Parts: sequence; C-alpha cells; structure tokens
Amino acid sequence: MSRPELQSDISYTKGLAALALFVVMAAVVFAADFGPAQGFPSDANVTESIGYAMFNLDLGSVPAEGFLVAFLLIAVVLDVALDGALYLAKRENEDDETLTALIADGGRTLRRTVADDGVDGDETHGDAADDGGDR
Amino acid sequence: MVPPQWYLLLAAAVFCIGVFGVLTRRNALIFLMSVELMLNAANINLVYFSQYWGNVTGQTFSLFTLALAAAEVAIGIGIILVLYRNFDDVDVTKAVTMRW
Repeated sequence: MSRPELQSDISYTKGLAALALFVVMAAVVFAADFGPAQGFPSDANVTESIGYAMFNLDLGSVPAEGFLVAFLLIAVVLDVALDGALYLAKRENEDDETLTALIADGGRTLRRTVADDGVDGDETHGDAADDGGDR
Repeated sequence: MVPPQWYLLLAAAVFCIGVFGVLTRRNALIFLMSVELMLNAANINLVYFSQYWGNVTGQTFSLFTLALAAAEVAIGIGIILVLYRNFDDVDVTKAVTMRW
C-alpha cells in the first residue's frame, strides 16, 4: 500500500534523462537571440484586454487574437471532464448505490463492510455522515 | 525587464522536474502532480512572452491551459480512484492488466 512517504527504492538513473534534457534546453536558451522587448503600453489595461479577447471583441487597449471558439471548446471539455470524473467515481455494484453518495474513502472500507457484514452492518459511515455532513 | 533567457531557464527547470517525477516515481498522484508541473512550465513561457511582445494572446491562452489542466486533473483523479479500487494501491507499476 502506498503511504505518504518518500519512496527510497526507486531508480534515479532514468531521472538522468530529465537532467540531460535540462542541460540541452539551457544550452539552446542561452544561445538564442530574442529581439528587443516591446512590452505593454504604460496605460494599457491588460485584464480588460484579456476579457475582450476571450469573446472576440476588438475593444481592448492591447492587441490580441479572438478566442471565442477556444472558450466554447474548453467549456465543453470541462463539462465532459466533470461527467467523466463522475462516471469513473461511480460504483459499479448496484446494491450499494445508496452508500456511494455518503462515502469518500476510496472504497476500501466500503468493500470490506459490505462484503463481510452486509449493508445493514455499516453503521460507522452513517454516523460519520451525520456528524460532519450536510447531505 | 528580466531577460527572456532566465524565464526560459525557469520554465525548463520546472518542466524537467516534472519529467523527472514522471520517469522516477511510481505513485499515480505524484504522476499527476508532475504532469501539472510540465503544463505550468509552458504557462510561464506563455505569460512571459505575452508581456515581452506586448500582446495578451499568450496570457489568454495560458488561462485556457489552466482550464484544460483542471479537466485533466478531474479525469486523472477519477482514474486513480478506479486504480485504487481495483488494485488496492496507487502504484502505477501494479496495474499491468487491462482486465482483472
């Protein structure tokens, strides 16, 4: 079982690849030439411009591209991710469906109590939910 | 203004720490954190170069990247939950079968 402790039996040799990647990146970065910085105008309202850019409105004081399509796509992706997370978290067994909404312990305790004691014997979870939960 | 090389170096360091975590760790939660580090390394570059070129496209894009990271974490946590239920562990090397 994994506990919150640092693993000591891992192989660090594979991590050398990350170190090598960093060295290559650093070499490339310091060899590159970036032209002169332009920066924002002193009177520019950056937050306002980001808000306008999200909705394809050309009203901001700083230039930007339109992101309305990306905004809608991200909205759909977040919705799908929420549904997917709920689908994955939902228990497959139908008989303990009523307990699923109450317990958020990862499933281990539930599996043990339902398999060994039956649903009626699982009183600790009900108490815990009554103590701290606003169901 | 701080030269771009230092920001790029910071982003590279954060990215490589993420790569290091993915390559060496076995805990799925640390995997997820490492992927987040890699995503946020890209965000550092986006935000810096947005300021460097005086264009808010990079900063707007970084907001979308953050939203995408949130979606990724939602799915990732769900997968880890299923992993724990089926294998009683979150060690990614334990899950070697598609069916059990």
